[in-house]
Amino acid sequence: MLRKIECFIQPFKLDAIKEALIKAGVDGMSVTEVKGFGRQRGYINGEIPNKEVKFLPKTKLEIVVDEEVVDDVTKLIVKLARTGKIGAGKIFIIPVEDAIRIRTSESGKSAVT
Amino acid sequence: MSNSLVEKKNNVWEMTLKRLNGTMSLLNLKPGMKKYLCEPRKIIEVAVTVKMDNGDINIFKGYRVQHNTNRGPAKGGIRYHQDVYLDEIKALAMLMTWKCAVAGIPFGGSKGGVKVNPSELSKRELENLTRRYTFEIIQNIGPEKDIPAPDVGTNAQVMAWIMDTYSIDKGYGVPGVVTGKPIALGGSLGREEATGRGCVYSILSALKVSNIDTTNLKVVIQGFGNVGSNAAKILYDLGFKIIAVSDVRGGIYNKKGIDPYRVLKHVEKTGSVINYRESENIAGSKIFELDCDILIPAALENQITKGNASKIKAKIIAEAANAPTTPDADEILKDNDIFIIPDILCNAGGVTVSYFEWVQGRDAYFWSKRKVNLQLRDVMDKAFYEVYDIHKKNKVDMRTAASILGVGRVAEAVKLRGIYP
Repeated sequence: MLRKIECFIQPFKLDAIKEALIKAGVDGMSVTEVKGFGRQRGYINGEIPNKEVKFLPKTKLEIVVDEEVVDDVTKLIVKLARTGKIGAGKIFIIPVEDAIRIRTSESGKSAVT
Repeated sequence: MSNSLVEKKNNVWEMTLKRLNGTMSLLNLKPGMKKYLCEPRKIIEVAVTVKMDNGDINIFKGYRVQHNTNRGPAKGGIRYHQDVYLDEIKALAMLMTWKCAVAGIPFGGSKGGVKVNPSELSKRELENLTRRYTFEIIQNIGPEKDIPAPDVGTNAQVMAWIMDTYSIDKGYGVPGVVTGKPIALGGSLGREEATGRGCVYSILSALKVSNIDTTNLKVVIQGFGNVGSNAAKILYDLGFKIIAVSDVRGGIYNKKGIDPYRVLKHVEKTGSVINYRESENIAGSKIFELDCDILIPAALENQITKGNASKIKAKIIAEAANAPTTPDADEILKDNDIFIIPDILCNAGGVTVSYFEWVQGRDAYFWSKRKVNLQLRDVMDKAFYEVYDIHKKNKVDMRTAASILGVGRVAEAVKLRGIYP
C-alpha cells in the first residue's frame, strides 16, 4: 500500500529536511508555500494573543512512499522539524489507492521509486 | 518469599472477588446477577501425564477455567509455572472477562495453566506436556468455544503444538483455536509486541489527560520479559528515558537512561539484565522507590503492596502485569494522588491483537503490521477514554471505572441473553 505523507512545517526547516530525506532514499517530494494556523492560533512565542486568529506562513511537504517506509520517513521528519516550540507543525498520513508515472505508465510502488 | 506464603497473605482470587463485589454494588446489580458473575462457568482440572526423557512417568496438574462466555467465546492465556494454583487461574480467567469487555472485543474470559517449571523440561518433554494437556481439554476449546494464547512460560511454539494437536484431532487445520501463533502458521504481525505497545498507548493517553508534557520523562520498568522489554523499546523510540529495569534476578539503574535494545542483547547473552555494564546493579525490591514519572509493573501479581506503595514516587503507574497491586496498596496510591492505569485497561493490547489474529484467521486474509498497530491504537484509545469518562463522571478511581465498564457490559450481555432454559 502506498501512503502520502503530508506535512506542515516551519519554512526554515525545509532545507535540512529535504537533504535528510534525499539521503534516506526518498525519491521525490512536492513543496507548497501555504498559510495556516493550529493550536497556537497564529501567534508566535512571546506574542500576546487576542481574539483574532491569524494565519502564519508554513511549508507543505507531500511525499508518496510505500507503507513499509512510512514510519522511518515520519520519524526523520519529526526529529528534524521539531523546534521545541508551539507551531512546529503536523504530519498527516493518507492512504493512496494508486500512483502512475506518466512517462512510462508504471503504476503502484514502481511509480514512486 | 515462597508462593505459599503469598497465597496465604494475598489470595488473588479473594482479592479479585472483593474488588468485583465493590463494583457490583456501585452498579446496583441484583443478587442473582452478582452470584452469576462471581461463579466461573466451567472449571477443568486435569492430570497431564508425561513420559520424561529418562523413562519415568511424571504427572503435572493442569487447569482451564472458563469464567464467562456471554459476550463471545472464552479467551485467555495458558501459563506454565511451578507456582500455578487453581485460585490464581480462576482470578485471571475472571480478569480476562472484564478485560475483553473493557476493550470492547467480542470475547469472554478464561485462563489455563500447568503447574510445571518449563525450564526444567527438555524441548521434547515440553512438547509432550503441551500435546497431552491440549488433549485433556480438547472438548472444551475451539475457535468458537475457548481460544488459548501465550502467557507466562508459554510462547508461539507452544501455541503451534496446541494448534497442531487440535487440528490432528479434527482432521483439518484449525488456526483459529489459538492466538499468539508463529507468523508462518497464521499468527498476526505485531502480536508479539502488542501488550507492550498497548500499554504505551494507554500511557500516552494518561499523559494527555494529566497535561504532562511527554518530553524527558523518566520510566522505570519491573519485569523485562515480552511485555516489559517491548514497552521499553517503544517508549525509548518515542524519546522517553528508561532509567531502570529489573527481572527476577535484580535490577539495573542509570539515571542518564538505558538503551533497552542493548540491554536485550545483554539478556540474550547472560540470561538477565543484571551486570549490564552501562548501569549499576540495584536490588529488585528497590525498583519501586526510584524517582521517576512513570512506573510500569510488568512482572507477576501482588508486586505493589502495603509495604512498598508509600515509597513510590511515580506520577503514573501503568499496570502492564495482571493484578500487580494489592487492594491495601491501592488505598495508599490513591491517597498519594498517583494516576493508575489499571491492568484490565493497560495490558488489553495483547488480547486485542489476539482478537485481530482470530479475525484474520477466520478471514484467511492477513493485515499489514501498520494496520494492526493503528487498529490497536484505536481500540486502546477508545477504551481509555471510556474508562476515563466514567472516572470523571462517577468520581471513582480509574480501577473502579474500568471495572464498572467491564462488569457493566458483561452484566448487560447476561441480561439480554437471559438464563437458559
